Amino acid sequence: MSDTKIDPILVAVIGNRFDAITKEIGETMLRTSRSPIFSEARDFVTAVFDKYGRLVAQTAYIPILMAGLPFAIKSIKDHYKDDIHEGDVFILNDPFGGNNHPPDINVAKPVFYKGELQFWSVSKGHHADVGGGGVAGYNPNSKSMYEECICIPPSRLYHKGQYQSDVWNLILSNIFLTFLVEGDLHCQVGACKIGDRGLLGLLQKYGTDILYQAIEEVFDASERQMRAQIEAVPDGKYYAERFMDHDGINKDKMIKVGIEAQVQGQEITFDLSGSDPQVVGYVNSTLPNTHSACYLALVTLINPDVRFNEGVMRPVKIIAPEGLVVNAKHPAPTTCCTLTAASAIIEAAWLALAQAVPHLAQAGWARWCAPATMGFNPRTGRPFADIHFMCKGGGGGTEGFDGWDHIGVVVCSGGLRSPDPELHEMVNPYLLLQYEYWPDSAGAGKWRGGLGVIYRWRVEAPDIPAANHGGGTREETAPYGLAGGKPAPKHQLYLKKVGGEVIQVDAESLYHMSTGDIFEIYESGGGGFGNPYERPEQVVLLDVRNGVVSIEKAREEYGVVINPVTMEIDRNLTDSLRG
Amino acid sequence: MFRIGIDVGGTFTDFLLINELGESTIYKTLTTPKDPSEGVFDGLVLMAKDREISLPEFLGQVKIIVHGTTITTNATLTGDGAKTGFITTKGFRDVLNMRRGMRERQYDSKHSPPPPLVPRYLIATVEERVDCEGKEVTSLNRDDVLKSAALFKSEGIEAVAVSFLFSFFNPLHEREIREILQEELPGVYISLSSEVLPQVRVYERHSTTALNAYVGPILAKYLAKLQSRLQGKGYAGTLLIMQSNGGVMSPEVAMRFASNTLLSGPASGPAAGIFYSESQAVKDIITVDMGGTSFDVCLVKEGKPGFTVEGRVGDYRIASPMIDIHTIGAGGGSIAWIDPGGILCVGPKSAGSEPGPVCYGRGGRQPAVTDANLILGYLDPNFFHGGDLQLNYDATFNAIEELGKKLGLDAVETAAGIYKIVNANMADGVREVSIKRGHDPREFALVVAGGAGPIHAAAIASELGLSLIIVPRESSVFCAAGMLISDLKHDFVRTYNAPVGKHTLEELNDLYGIETLSGKKLFHGQQNLNRLKDLYNEMRLEALKTLSAEGIPEKSVVLSYSADLRYIGQLNDVEVGWEDSPIEDVINGLEEAFHKRHETLYGYSMPGSPVEFMNLRLSAIGATDKMSFNKFPFSGIDASFAMKGKRQAYFNGKFVETPVYDGLLMGNGNMLEGPAIVEQPTTTIIVTPEFNLACDEYNNYILRPNGVKFHHIRK
Repeated sequence: MSDTKIDPILVAVIGNRFDAITKEIGETMLRTSRSPIFSEARDFVTAVFDKYGRLVAQTAYIPILMAGLPFAIKSIKDHYKDDIHEGDVFILNDPFGGNNHPPDINVAKPVFYKGELQFWSVSKGHHADVGGGGVAGYNPNSKSMYEECICIPPSRLYHKGQYQSDVWNLILSNIFLTFLVEGDLHCQVGACKIGDRGLLGLLQKYGTDILYQAIEEVFDASERQMRAQIEAVPDGKYYAERFMDHDGINKDKMIKVGIEAQVQGQEITFDLSGSDPQVVGYVNSTLPNTHSACYLALVTLINPDVRFNEGVMRPVKIIAPEGLVVNAKHPAPTTCCTLTAASAIIEAAWLALAQAVPHLAQAGWARWCAPATMGFNPRTGRPFADIHFMCKGGGGGTEGFDGWDHIGVVVCSGGLRSPDPELHEMVNPYLLLQYEYWPDSAGAGKWRGGLGVIYRWRVEAPDIPAANHGGGTREETAPYGLAGGKPAPKHQLYLKKVGGEVIQVDAESLYHMSTGDIFEIYESGGGGFGNPYERPEQVVLLDVRNGVVSIEKAREEYGVVINPVTMEIDRNLTDSLRG
Repeated sequence: MFRIGIDVGGTFTDFLLINELGESTIYKTLTTPKDPSEGVFDGLVLMAKDREISLPEFLGQVKIIVHGTTITTNATLTGDGAKTGFITTKGFRDVLNMRRGMRERQYDSKHSPPPPLVPRYLIATVEERVDCEGKEVTSLNRDDVLKSAALFKSEGIEAVAVSFLFSFFNPLHEREIREILQEELPGVYISLSSEVLPQVRVYERHSTTALNAYVGPILAKYLAKLQSRLQGKGYAGTLLIMQSNGGVMSPEVAMRFASNTLLSGPASGPAAGIFYSESQAVKDIITVDMGGTSFDVCLVKEGKPGFTVEGRVGDYRIASPMIDIHTIGAGGGSIAWIDPGGILCVGPKSAGSEPGPVCYGRGGRQPAVTDANLILGYLDPNFFHGGDLQLNYDATFNAIEELGKKLGLDAVETAAGIYKIVNANMADGVREVSIKRGHDPREFALVVAGGAGPIHAAAIASELGLSLIIVPRESSVFCAAGMLISDLKHDFVRTYNAPVGKHTLEELNDLYGIETLSGKKLFHGQQNLNRLKDLYNEMRLEALKTLSAEGIPEKSVVLSYSADLRYIGQLNDVEVGWEDSPIEDVINGLEEAFHKRHETLYGYSMPGSPVEFMNLRLSAIGATDKMSFNKFPFSGIDASFAMKGKRQAYFNGKFVETPVYDGLLMGNGNMLEGPAIVEQPTTTIIVTPEFNLACDEYNNYILRPNGVKFHHIRK
């Protein structure tokens, strides 16, 4: 540090300020957005980039968005080159031109100081609708991106401060839920303005030279931190694979993601060459999404305190050959990659690294599996669209800690806020029948998985399409156990038609609901970690008293026998089982 | 006649005693956590002793006692609340403990959620259902209720919280269940969500109701005891309890709505801030309070503090309106450390008071902010807490030097770095609060409370570009002072969801493209003025009734109304308020006011886009009769008589011989130039070279940047 040109204290102060600015952008997004996917589920990311297009600071409310933005900024910069002006605001959602998947729309505002471009204030969020034939963006039948979205290449929402009505009209005319999307685009632009304001304050206070010196130091510091964590992982090559249920088109074929993690000294490579070729349906991953998934797996294992920026990415390499399911070619459909493909990638990366650092590894989290629905609500007289975010399963156990209950899919890592059931009923034509923990849904273990949920509702309007998306409906894709822990059960979903027919709901499939139908979801818990026979008896007893583990499972899986009348542990029988 | 403000804190119980001339005296006793009324009585005994009269004689002369208590807060944080049962709608057993499925440290798998307030085996569900328009779908199943009551009886439950879906639209099932429970579980504290917080959002309502039950019996017991003890010693005056919303309430109301005291600790700060800034004729202030582990910020615009419904006590959510106090982990005890990348960080981990910073000499090894302040000469090792605690300079120097080696900095540079980083963190906290409410912090005066605050205030003000700092003479009993000027205040809420304004069916159909969807021309939920009037009136009557029971006649009640509005489709609301006038008089201007407010807060608005109601609110204030502090006569500009010595202190990269003043000797008009240090036994003010200081007519300290005049100084 002694050759540092700039005062290390100033580096810390400026670094913190950049972080704070990304939070200010995010706070604005949270409070003004309309799509429940933005404001309730917090499915967005905010960031500051420097004039070279390097990621300076970021707040990823949903971690699967963590490594996607650099691709988007590069795409905008490459497209416009010198034609970038003060007062411009750019938009982009092309999944083959820098975006991670079509529903996430990038909005970026270049920040000028004394007439020169210095920074970018950026937000990206999941919109309720991006056109195409999907239900709230999800179309399990799509075979190309043209069936799932209106594709927006780098374009201008504002040019030199002027509202570009032709661009806005063109986009909004291709979208069903115009009133949600228009408001959310305004919200993103407003949020970027808040970031712009903060960055200008910083520029006025310190000037560009000091800021750029500080940025280099922050990058170096983050790089050192990342290298130190990688170095602590034993060198070696570790391979693992996981599967996706199917792609929505060929429903009898599981899709493989194979990852070799190569750790050497302070550097790590994720080689995904062992994955299947790209598929017809919309679970194909884009490169930005594959990058995000690998980083998510890495930081949740070895570096939870990461400050994610350009420096962090330097010691990490990701190999994902084009044409594989982890880096699909244009014009493959990709909408479900942030859930389906990302979960398989994260699990495979975790399982690979679990061979090196088992004490840091986590058992499997419940995959995402729930429908997007949209239509018209006769009670309110308004259209509605929703992704059923109440269907959040359990997290996996890890050494020392049970998995978290109802935490949701791993791509969100606990950042996905469950919607309010009352607001949900006030907007959607549904009557909730049940929303509570699913007993025995967690994989047994010394540290058991978190609990999944039972979520059931009755439909109170005709003609509602339901695009069920995600997986975890098979043994192979249910949450795995680790270090002797047990897997969790697979999800079970049913559509009970008013006439009495019971339809078993599959992953990545489209259904139709009507008045009186009941949709039932049993979303699994997380996998267990460690031998369940080592879970303390009193903890098992409390689980039974709380009704989250049944007396039968306590005996079968934990070797703890409980008298159903006295609710006390049967000493002799338990000792003979546990030995 | 006397008035007493009593603030029971974690370590000390602070008292501010004021007589009818406005002369104030500060008292402090040690807090007695087991029974906080001990510490309270210790203080009252001291006051009587000072006046050489008996306690009953003294209490006979006391007109009003305002009491701030953290008894409920502590019970929640330590898990020592009442054994509580919870009853909710069948099928929805776990919404309370799901906590909306969030994990705050997102990437970290090695931690657990907070222990549940109510474990699952004490959460009962009963068959009943009301729909989203308040209509009964399923009637209340009495057998289920009796079963829950039997369970609670066998478990020895002390309190029961009941919260059903949509009970804010239709509270009948909750009322019905209360009758049964009162019969089955006599003496058990019962808390209904339709009374505690009749407002949409089920987890937030559940949690607030459960917290109310969890702390209710404890507060009720404590207040009953305190009241009888006071009466036993001849007290016939009024006892008022501080609330989280910045108002006070009678003990009777407090017993029913115990959760309203949960974040009352710092809630009287803004009132104190408004009071102390009076001499400076400013109405826009930011109060900051820096203690050992945290830094509390509150923004007051035009004499009105901000409110929030997003409160938390520890990890538990409370959604009743309360003063919006933003807390960051920066205090005198905040520890300095170097992250694995080699960047110096300060906090949020704190050394607390045990072992405390290195300089306390109680075994603390990691340097904290107070240690840096000692090395920089801001603190006198021999005059910390008036000399009660001797600070260990050498050990502190060594610890900071050790830390600095990893950065290639010497001990002093490192200390200066810690000072700078913690100041920047606090400035970010202030900035966040201002931006969140759409204001530029430079337009505000900084009112500084707490022992550690005035050491950092000038540096924070410089960082933010603020040009006025006020450090009250009673800075260390700031909140006790605030209590004495707080009014009776009660907040009411009703959820009402309908569009604002009279849209025609055609307009709405156009907007949503309904005809292309179904060909129907339905529209429910048109704004209903009569319903609005009814709801506001209902709240008004409830407010008048509550305040009348507290001795406030209707003519002295001040009502302020507001509505939570949003663009249709948004999920968060913006509160738009108006003074005491009926809804029919303001309804036409509501949309306009909302667009404006949205623009200020979030940088955009969408005029023409339809707006809807979400919640209606009423806040009722019953003015208490206030004390006033006495003013001091002008005592000249010269402050040199108060100078007690000089010491080396670090400013702008070097140590400077800095004069040290005895603050207790300084009075109205006395002025000095920075750099300077002003010391009181529990407060040290650092006047940086960029600032000057003067005393106002209440002997409070005013700091202004060089070149800015002190307008209150008369010659």
